[in-house]
Amino acid sequence: MSAVGEVINWLQTTQLSTTIRESDWLFPAIECVHVIAFVTVVGSISVVDLRLMGLASKGRRIDETIESLLPITWIAFAIAAVAGLLLFVSKPITYTQNFFFLGKMLLLLFAAANMGAFHLFVHRSLAGVPAEAPSPLAARASGAASLALWIAIVAFGRWIGFTTLG
Amino acid sequence: MLEAFTAWLGKTPLSAFVAGQDWVVPTVQTVHILAISVVVAAVVILHLRVLGVIEQNQPIGVLARRFVAPSAVAIGVLALTGLLMIAGEPNRALFRYVFWIKMALLALALALSGAMLRGLRGNAAWVDAAAPPPPLYKGLAAGLLLVWVAIIVAGRWIGYAEGWPGSPS
Repeated sequence: MSAVGEVINWLQTTQLSTTIRESDWLFPAIECVHVIAFVTVVGSISVVDLRLMGLASKGRRIDETIESLLPITWIAFAIAAVAGLLLFVSKPITYTQNFFFLGKMLLLLFAAANMGAFHLFVHRSLAGVPAEAPSPLAARASGAASLALWIAIVAFGRWIGFTTLG
Repeated sequence: MLEAFTAWLGKTPLSAFVAGQDWVVPTVQTVHILAISVVVAAVVILHLRVLGVIEQNQPIGVLARRFVAPSAVAIGVLALTGLLMIAGEPNRALFRYVFWIKMALLALALALSGAMLRGLRGNAAWVDAAAPPPPLYKGLAAGLLLVWVAIIVAGRWIGYAEGWPGSPS
Protein backbone atom coordinates (compact mmCIF):
# COMPACT_ATOMS: atom_id res chain seq x y z
CA MET A 1 0.00 0.00 0.00
CA SER A 2 1.16 3.52 -0.76
CA ALA A 3 2.30 5.86 1.99
CA VAL A 4 -0.72 8.08 1.38
CA GLY A 5 -3.02 5.08 1.62
CA GLU A 6 -1.48 4.11 4.96
CA VAL A 7 -1.97 7.62 6.34
CA ILE A 8 -5.62 7.60 5.17
CA ASN A 9 -6.22 4.20 6.79
CA TRP A 10 -4.55 5.32 10.01
CA LEU A 11 -6.57 8.55 10.02
CA GLN A 12 -9.79 6.55 9.94
CA THR A 13 -8.72 4.60 13.06
CA THR A 14 -7.99 7.73 15.14
CA GLN A 15 -10.19 8.61 18.11
CA LEU A 16 -11.24 11.90 16.43
CA SER A 17 -12.42 10.08 13.30
CA THR A 18 -14.33 7.45 15.26
CA THR A 19 -15.96 10.02 17.56
CA ILE A 20 -17.32 12.13 14.68
CA ARG A 21 -18.34 9.08 12.62
CA GLU A 22 -20.22 7.35 15.43
CA SER A 23 -21.95 10.44 16.83
CA ASP A 24 -25.52 11.16 15.71
CA TRP A 25 -25.13 14.92 15.86
CA LEU A 26 -21.42 15.82 15.47
CA PHE A 27 -21.26 15.42 11.67
CA PRO A 28 -24.37 17.56 10.97
CA ALA A 29 -23.22 20.13 13.56
CA ILE A 30 -19.77 20.46 11.95
CA GLU A 31 -21.49 20.54 8.56
CA CYS A 32 -23.55 23.56 9.73
CA VAL A 33 -20.36 25.41 10.70
CA HIS A 34 -18.82 24.45 7.32
CA VAL A 35 -21.90 25.72 5.42
CA ILE A 36 -22.14 29.03 7.32
CA ALA A 37 -18.42 29.68 6.80
CA PHE A 38 -18.24 28.75 3.11
CA VAL A 39 -21.36 30.68 2.08
CA THR A 40 -19.62 33.69 3.66
CA VAL A 41 -16.48 32.89 1.62
CA VAL A 42 -18.40 32.46 -1.63
CA GLY A 43 -20.63 35.48 -1.01
CA SER A 44 -17.79 37.87 -0.17
CA ILE A 45 -15.64 36.60 -3.06
CA SER A 46 -18.57 37.02 -5.47
CA VAL A 47 -18.88 40.68 -4.50
CA VAL A 48 -15.20 41.16 -5.43
CA ASP A 49 -15.52 39.02 -8.60
CA LEU A 50 -18.55 40.96 -9.85
CA ARG A 51 -16.71 44.24 -9.11
CA LEU A 52 -13.65 42.99 -11.03
CA MET A 53 -15.93 42.08 -13.94
CA GLY A 54 -17.40 45.58 -13.83
CA LEU A 55 -20.90 44.20 -13.21
CA ALA A 56 -21.64 45.43 -9.66
CA SER A 57 -20.45 47.83 -6.93
CA LYS A 58 -19.35 50.14 -9.72
CA GLY A 59 -19.40 53.16 -7.43
CA ARG A 60 -16.61 51.69 -5.30
CA ARG A 61 -12.94 51.50 -6.26
CA ILE A 62 -11.72 47.94 -6.98
CA ASP A 63 -8.81 48.12 -4.51
CA GLU A 64 -11.14 49.39 -1.75
CA THR A 65 -13.71 46.68 -2.49
CA ILE A 66 -11.01 44.03 -2.10
CA GLU A 67 -9.44 45.59 0.97
CA SER A 68 -12.73 45.94 2.84
CA LEU A 69 -13.86 42.33 2.27
CA LEU A 70 -10.62 40.33 2.33
CA PRO A 71 -10.52 39.95 6.17
CA ILE A 72 -14.07 38.52 6.15
CA THR A 73 -13.19 36.12 3.33
CA TRP A 74 -10.03 34.87 5.09
CA ILE A 75 -11.59 34.43 8.55
CA ALA A 76 -14.53 32.55 7.03
CA PHE A 77 -12.19 30.48 4.86
CA ALA A 78 -10.12 29.43 7.89
CA ILE A 79 -13.31 28.28 9.69
CA ALA A 80 -14.60 26.47 6.58
CA ALA A 81 -11.24 24.73 6.14
CA VAL A 82 -11.04 23.50 9.75
CA ALA A 83 -14.68 22.31 9.71
CA GLY A 84 -14.11 20.70 6.29
CA LEU A 85 -11.01 18.92 7.57
CA LEU A 86 -13.02 17.50 10.49
CA LEU A 87 -15.71 16.25 8.08
CA PHE A 88 -12.97 14.66 5.96
CA VAL A 89 -11.34 13.01 9.00
CA SER A 90 -14.63 11.29 9.87
CA LYS A 91 -14.54 9.20 6.64
CA PRO A 92 -11.15 9.69 4.94
CA ILE A 93 -11.24 6.41 3.00
CA THR A 94 -14.69 7.18 1.53
CA TYR A 95 -13.75 10.74 0.58
CA THR A 96 -10.40 9.95 -1.04
CA GLN A 97 -12.22 7.48 -3.30
CA ASN A 98 -14.93 10.00 -4.22
CA PHE A 99 -14.72 11.74 -7.61
CA PHE A 100 -16.48 14.91 -6.45
CA PHE A 101 -14.32 15.25 -3.32
CA LEU A 102 -11.09 14.93 -5.35
CA GLY A 103 -12.54 17.24 -8.01
CA LYS A 104 -13.45 19.83 -5.39
CA MET A 105 -9.91 19.78 -3.98
CA LEU A 106 -8.50 20.27 -7.50
CA LEU A 107 -10.91 23.16 -8.15
CA LEU A 108 -9.85 24.74 -4.83
CA LEU A 109 -6.23 24.55 -6.04
CA PHE A 110 -7.25 26.26 -9.31
CA ALA A 111 -9.09 28.98 -7.35
CA ALA A 112 -6.00 29.49 -5.17
CA ALA A 113 -3.76 29.67 -8.27
CA ASN A 114 -6.12 32.18 -9.90
CA MET A 115 -6.11 34.28 -6.74
CA GLY A 116 -2.30 34.06 -6.49
CA ALA A 117 -1.87 35.12 -10.11
CA PHE A 118 -4.27 38.03 -9.56
CA HIS A 119 -2.35 39.29 -6.54
CA LEU A 120 1.03 38.87 -8.28
CA PHE A 121 0.20 40.36 -11.67
CA VAL A 122 -3.02 42.42 -11.52
CA HIS A 123 -3.77 43.68 -8.02
CA ARG A 124 -0.97 46.29 -7.80
CA SER A 125 -1.95 47.93 -11.07
CA LEU A 126 -5.43 48.58 -9.62
CA ALA A 127 -4.21 50.63 -6.63
CA GLY A 128 -5.84 54.05 -6.57
CA VAL A 129 -7.64 53.55 -9.91
CA PRO A 130 -10.85 55.65 -9.70
CA ALA A 131 -14.18 53.83 -9.54
CA GLU A 132 -15.32 55.35 -12.84
CA ALA A 133 -12.40 53.82 -14.81
CA PRO A 134 -13.38 50.69 -16.78
CA SER A 135 -12.16 47.43 -15.26
CA PRO A 136 -9.02 46.16 -17.10
CA LEU A 137 -9.32 42.97 -19.16
CA ALA A 138 -7.00 41.00 -16.85
CA ALA A 139 -9.15 41.96 -13.84
CA ARG A 140 -12.34 40.97 -15.67
CA ALA A 141 -10.87 37.61 -16.68
CA SER A 142 -9.64 36.93 -13.16
CA GLY A 143 -13.05 37.78 -11.66
CA ALA A 144 -14.90 35.62 -14.18
CA ALA A 145 -12.56 32.65 -13.59
CA SER A 146 -12.93 33.01 -9.82
CA LEU A 147 -16.73 33.19 -9.96
CA ALA A 148 -16.95 30.14 -12.26
CA LEU A 149 -14.54 28.16 -10.06
CA TRP A 150 -16.41 28.94 -6.82
CA ILE A 151 -19.77 28.02 -8.34
CA ALA A 152 -18.23 24.71 -9.45
CA ILE A 153 -16.71 24.20 -5.98
CA VAL A 154 -20.16 24.62 -4.36
CA ALA A 155 -21.70 22.20 -6.89
CA PHE A 156 -18.98 19.57 -6.39
CA GLY A 157 -19.30 19.98 -2.63
CA ARG A 158 -23.04 19.38 -2.76
CA TRP A 159 -22.53 16.34 -4.99
CA ILE A 160 -20.14 14.81 -2.43
CA GLY A 161 -23.11 14.50 -0.06
CA PHE A 162 -25.12 12.56 -2.66
CA THR A 163 -22.33 10.15 -3.62
CA THR A 164 -20.99 9.20 -0.17
CA LEU A 165 -24.23 8.07 1.49
CA GLY A 166 -24.08 5.12 3.86
CA MET B 1 -55.08 19.42 5.27
CA LEU B 2 -51.29 19.36 5.05
CA GLU B 3 -51.51 15.66 4.21
CA ALA B 4 -54.05 16.29 1.44
CA PHE B 5 -51.76 18.97 0.03
CA THR B 6 -48.63 16.81 0.03
CA ALA B 7 -50.57 13.87 -1.43
CA TRP B 8 -51.71 16.14 -4.28
CA LEU B 9 -48.24 17.67 -4.70
CA GLY B 10 -46.66 14.22 -4.92
CA LYS B 11 -48.84 13.41 -7.95
CA THR B 12 -47.96 16.52 -9.96
CA PRO B 13 -45.65 16.37 -13.02
CA LEU B 14 -43.32 18.83 -11.24
CA SER B 15 -42.84 16.35 -8.41
CA ALA B 16 -42.19 13.56 -10.90
CA PHE B 17 -39.63 15.71 -12.71
CA VAL B 18 -37.68 16.67 -9.56
CA ALA B 19 -37.76 13.14 -8.17
CA GLY B 20 -37.24 11.44 -11.53
CA GLN B 21 -33.66 12.40 -12.43
CA ASP B 22 -30.60 12.01 -10.22
CA TRP B 23 -29.14 15.39 -11.14
CA VAL B 24 -32.12 17.62 -10.39
CA VAL B 25 -32.07 17.62 -6.57
CA PRO B 26 -28.31 18.31 -6.18
CA THR B 27 -28.54 21.01 -8.86
CA VAL B 28 -31.48 22.69 -7.13
CA GLN B 29 -29.63 22.47 -3.80
CA THR B 30 -26.50 23.98 -5.37
CA VAL B 31 -28.52 26.95 -6.67
CA HIS B 32 -30.17 27.22 -3.21
CA ILE B 33 -26.74 27.39 -1.54
CA LEU B 34 -25.40 29.95 -4.05
CA ALA B 35 -28.46 32.13 -3.34
CA ILE B 36 -27.78 31.73 0.41
CA SER B 37 -24.24 33.01 -0.28
CA VAL B 38 -25.68 36.19 -1.80
CA VAL B 39 -27.99 36.81 1.19
CA VAL B 40 -25.25 35.98 3.72
CA ALA B 41 -22.73 38.31 2.05
CA ALA B 42 -25.27 41.15 2.16
CA VAL B 43 -26.30 40.36 5.74
CA VAL B 44 -22.70 40.08 7.00
CA ILE B 45 -21.52 43.26 5.24
CA LEU B 46 -24.52 45.44 6.24
CA HIS B 47 -24.77 44.22 9.83
CA LEU B 48 -21.02 44.39 10.51
CA ARG B 49 -21.14 47.93 9.09
CA VAL B 50 -23.97 48.87 11.46
CA LEU B 51 -21.91 47.35 14.30
CA GLY B 52 -18.94 49.49 13.23
CA VAL B 53 -16.65 46.55 12.41
CA ILE B 54 -16.10 47.11 8.65
CA GLU B 55 -16.65 49.71 5.91
CA GLN B 56 -16.59 52.56 8.42
CA ASN B 57 -15.92 55.14 5.70
CA GLN B 58 -19.10 54.11 3.82
CA PRO B 59 -22.51 55.55 4.74
CA ILE B 60 -25.02 52.77 5.52
CA GLY B 61 -27.35 54.01 2.77
CA VAL B 62 -24.64 53.49 0.12
CA LEU B 63 -24.08 49.88 1.23
CA ALA B 64 -27.84 49.25 1.42
CA ARG B 65 -28.22 50.42 -2.18
CA ARG B 66 -25.53 47.93 -3.25
CA PHE B 67 -26.75 44.91 -1.32
CA VAL B 68 -30.49 45.02 -0.54
CA ALA B 69 -31.79 44.50 -4.10
CA PRO B 70 -29.52 41.48 -4.86
CA SER B 71 -30.60 39.86 -1.58
CA ALA B 72 -34.26 40.36 -2.45
CA VAL B 73 -33.66 38.59 -5.79
CA ALA B 74 -31.73 35.83 -3.99
CA ILE B 75 -34.59 35.33 -1.52
CA GLY B 76 -36.92 34.85 -4.50
CA VAL B 77 -34.53 32.22 -5.88
CA LEU B 78 -34.42 30.57 -2.43
CA ALA B 79 -38.21 30.37 -2.27
CA LEU B 80 -38.36 28.88 -5.77
CA THR B 81 -35.62 26.29 -5.24
CA GLY B 82 -37.07 25.52 -1.79
CA LEU B 83 -40.46 24.82 -3.39
CA LEU B 84 -38.80 22.54 -5.96
CA MET B 85 -37.14 20.55 -3.16
CA ILE B 86 -40.50 20.21 -1.38
CA ALA B 87 -42.19 19.18 -4.65
CA GLY B 88 -39.59 16.45 -5.21
CA GLU B 89 -40.17 14.93 -1.79
CA PRO B 90 -43.42 16.36 -0.33
CA ASN B 91 -43.37 14.24 2.83
CA ARG B 92 -39.82 15.25 3.76
CA ALA B 93 -39.73 18.85 4.98
CA LEU B 94 -43.34 19.82 5.68
CA PHE B 95 -43.83 17.30 8.49
CA ARG B 96 -40.68 18.22 10.38
CA TYR B 97 -40.83 20.76 13.22
CA VAL B 98 -37.43 22.18 12.22
CA PHE B 99 -38.80 23.24 8.80
CA TRP B 100 -41.53 25.35 10.43
CA ILE B 101 -39.01 26.74 12.95
CA LYS B 102 -36.90 27.79 9.96
CA MET B 103 -39.90 29.48 8.30
CA ALA B 104 -40.79 31.32 11.54
CA LEU B 105 -37.18 32.51 11.96
CA LEU B 106 -37.14 33.61 8.32
CA ALA B 107 -40.34 35.64 8.78
CA LEU B 108 -38.79 37.20 11.91
CA ALA B 109 -35.54 38.02 10.08
CA LEU B 110 -37.33 39.62 7.12
CA ALA B 111 -39.66 41.66 9.37
CA LEU B 112 -36.81 42.89 11.59
CA SER B 113 -34.58 43.66 8.57
CA GLY B 114 -37.36 45.73 7.01
CA ALA B 115 -37.93 47.62 10.26
CA MET B 116 -34.18 48.18 10.68
CA LEU B 117 -33.75 49.54 7.14
CA ARG B 118 -36.79 51.82 7.47
CA GLY B 119 -35.51 53.13 10.80
CA LEU B 120 -31.97 53.70 9.55
CA ARG B 121 -33.22 55.52 6.46
CA GLY B 122 -34.40 58.34 8.71
CA ASN B 123 -31.10 58.43 10.61
CA ALA B 124 -27.99 60.51 9.97
CA ALA B 125 -25.91 57.29 9.62
CA TRP B 126 -27.76 56.56 6.35
CA VAL B 127 -25.94 59.34 4.51
CA ASP B 128 -23.10 60.29 6.86
CA ALA B 129 -20.32 57.72 7.39
CA ALA B 130 -19.09 59.64 10.45
CA ALA B 131 -22.45 59.40 12.26
CA PRO B 132 -22.70 56.23 14.38
CA PRO B 133 -26.06 54.39 14.21
CA PRO B 134 -28.07 54.42 17.50
CA PRO B 135 -27.41 51.51 19.93
CA LEU B 136 -30.87 50.06 19.19
CA TYR B 137 -29.77 49.34 15.61
CA LYS B 138 -26.49 47.83 16.75
CA GLY B 139 -28.45 45.47 18.98
CA LEU B 140 -30.78 44.62 16.08
CA ALA B 141 -27.81 43.97 13.77
CA ALA B 142 -26.16 41.61 16.27
CA GLY B 143 -29.46 39.82 16.91
CA LEU B 144 -30.18 39.46 13.19
CA LEU B 145 -26.75 37.92 12.51
CA LEU B 146 -27.62 35.24 15.08
CA VAL B 147 -31.09 34.70 13.58
CA TRP B 148 -29.56 34.12 10.12
CA VAL B 149 -27.11 31.60 11.60
CA ALA B 150 -30.08 29.82 13.20
CA ILE B 151 -31.94 29.81 9.84
CA ILE B 152 -29.01 28.10 8.10
CA VAL B 153 -28.62 25.56 10.92
CA ALA B 154 -32.37 24.81 10.85
CA GLY B 155 -32.19 24.45 7.05
CA ARG B 156 -29.34 21.94 7.23
CA TRP B 157 -31.18 20.08 10.00
CA ILE B 158 -34.23 19.45 7.79
CA GLY B 159 -32.09 16.82 6.10
CA TYR B 160 -31.36 15.04 9.38
CA ALA B 161 -34.59 15.45 11.38
CA GLU B 162 -37.38 12.87 11.70
CA GLY B 163 -41.00 13.65 10.86
CA TRP B 164 -43.32 14.38 13.75
CA PRO B 165 -45.38 11.51 15.25
CA GLY B 166 -48.06 10.20 12.89
CA SER B 167 -46.71 11.97 9.80
CA PRO B 168 -46.69 10.16 6.44
CA SER B 169 -43.33 8.70 5.46
